[in-house]
Amino acid sequence: MTEPIAERMTEPMTRPATRLRFEQIRSVIRLEIKKTFFAKRGLWVYVLALLPVLLLIGHTIANSHQRERSAWLARQNEKPLTYQDLQAVKSGMTSEEVVALIGKPPIRFHWNRQRALGRGGSVNVAHESYHYSDGSNDLYLELTAGKVERVIIREGSNIGEDNIVFAGVFQFFFIRLAVFFGCLGIFMNLFRGEVLDRSLHFYFLAPIRREVLMAGKFLAGLLATCVIFVTSELLQIIAFTWNFSPNMRDLYLYQNHGLAHAMTYLGVTALACLGYGAFSLAAGMLFRNPILPAAAILIWEAINPFLPPLLKQFSVIYYLKSLCPVIVPTPPGTPPLFAMLISNPDPVSGTIAVIGVVTVALLALCASSFQVRRMEINYTTE
Amino acid sequence: MNDRIIFENVSKFYGEILGVNRVNLSIPAGITSLVGPNGAGKTTLMNLMTGLVRPSRGCIRVLGCRTDEPEELFNILGYCTQFDAFPKGLTGYQFVYSYLRLGGRDSASAEQLAWRAIDRVNLVDAAARSIAGYSKGMRQRIRLAQALAHNPRVLVLDEPLNGLDPLARAEMIVLFRAAAAQGCYLIISSHILHEVDVISDQVILLSNGYVVAEGEIQSLRSEIREHPAQILIRCSRPRELAARTMECKQTIAVSIHHDERGVLVKTRDADGLYLMLNQIALNGIEIESVSPADDDVNSVYEYLIGNDEVVQ
Repeated sequence: MTEPIAERMTEPMTRPATRLRFEQIRSVIRLEIKKTFFAKRGLWVYVLALLPVLLLIGHTIANSHQRERSAWLARQNEKPLTYQDLQAVKSGMTSEEVVALIGKPPIRFHWNRQRALGRGGSVNVAHESYHYSDGSNDLYLELTAGKVERVIIREGSNIGEDNIVFAGVFQFFFIRLAVFFGCLGIFMNLFRGEVLDRSLHFYFLAPIRREVLMAGKFLAGLLATCVIFVTSELLQIIAFTWNFSPNMRDLYLYQNHGLAHAMTYLGVTALACLGYGAFSLAAGMLFRNPILPAAAILIWEAINPFLPPLLKQFSVIYYLKSLCPVIVPTPPGTPPLFAMLISNPDPVSGTIAVIGVVTVALLALCASSFQVRRMEINYTTE
Repeated sequence: MNDRIIFENVSKFYGEILGVNRVNLSIPAGITSLVGPNGAGKTTLMNLMTGLVRPSRGCIRVLGCRTDEPEELFNILGYCTQFDAFPKGLTGYQFVYSYLRLGGRDSASAEQLAWRAIDRVNLVDAAARSIAGYSKGMRQRIRLAQALAHNPRVLVLDEPLNGLDPLARAEMIVLFRAAAAQGCYLIISSHILHEVDVISDQVILLSNGYVVAEGEIQSLRSEIREHPAQILIRCSRPRELAARTMECKQTIAVSIHHDERGVLVKTRDADGLYLMLNQIALNGIEIESVSPADDDVNSVYEYLIGNDEVVQ
């Protein structure tokens, strides 16, 4: 206040506009990033991001135990068995025939159970249970009175099926729910949270264009969500591939498009953060109550398959589904309505899908920048 | 008019509720106080001036800057609000430093300006502490530091002395005066009329969203014809003087001051009374001093608005 006026106006205004904006965006990110990562009210976002990781880690641990047990069983066999050997056992065979076919069972349980006869008497019936394994698939036989009554083959982890399960978790839980609600929680609070805290005026009183402020806040949110959800996806991929033996893992990653799929999943996650982040930011600025726009966006994304082609394009999931590397098949017997939700009848090419998500995000950001210029500080009405 | 703060027919409505209505102002450099009871529109006027709210009608220019262009506006303006919330987790220093960085200043310059501003408000010792642990007075001071950190030409201060102890109040008043002397524009809102009297070059009286009066206190007072002027005359023989002043037709009432060393005269013609006093002085009554007793903000406020909710 005591300096001459000429000196006051110097520093920030004399810098090139692009560099000035860049510096301002960096300052906003620096202020926001700590708040975004360590906000108490954002803890649930971490829980959401970690859920599929925990699910896959649990799956991997269970599979690992199963594999060890199967390998141990296979070592106990009288002779090496193949999957075809296990499939050769049929109901009605006698125990002798079974032993002749695949050898003595490594694990055998037997017990007797009384069966009632017609005239009030009873008879002891011998029950047996045989367990075999070829090293990855297990065979469970239940024998009654020396004959095979029930044959159960429990197949070990199958890379193809696991791949589809992983794709299903990614498309129907991770992207549509975890990333969606995570972005909602983080991006909606960028402005709305500060209005509720009554601290937004701090930014609005600084010599920074509101659009630049919005860009800085958006990038801070994007950085946070990308770090949280891309890390989660990376951990999921690690947990998923850890499930396989080293040979199988190498085969999957380097010769079976596994690495390309992994990179695509990470990219789709980042694009989902971009798309849903932009939507959530706009919703947080346009509406006071976040529940209604959140529900509206969720419904809009869910009914995407039923929308006319033009409207489909104004949706994030439309493009993300096209980018997903594995198509989740519709199981037989699925109700048509549900089958339609799962299927992606008119996918677009990868390039168009990326451009589509970016365009939808830019449209949402344009709406936000229009709104941020009109925003007023009037905390009493919030 | 790039050397004034201009309000042209400005109105602001919050839905059905009136904020301010048809405000026309041209505020020069110096200290201008906004005076009015709660809900009169003081903060709305300040928020309009700083772009925190947009006018429903009319146009505002601050030294030629539009209020919807924050980049230009806040390079010349600093606003110390009454909002008592801060970004979470910041220390006092970080609060001021971050504000400067948001404006695009480099780290070294922001650091230097931040410390200088914090020093001005005497908060250096507490600057490294989290604002969450500050007292009300400290929070007020750090807000002041933020408002003046970038050396703005226009300072908008909403109740800036609230929560400050008497020493700090005196220091701030000196600071404001120094800024005004250097050609800065200080817009201050206050409930405390005797402080407004001490620091203001001009006042804007607000009531129910309308500007009731604006200008220098004395000229405002002289324009209020319906209330007779009160003049305190200190003299050696008050009773004799009282009798003489009653001879003037424009004199409404005369009372002896409670210390028996002066006379309080209510008159409709102050100039006539002054001429008469010259005569009286020549006739032997020793007059020590003559001073208007009601040309302060308090009296003007009382005459124009009433004295509700005002600390005198």
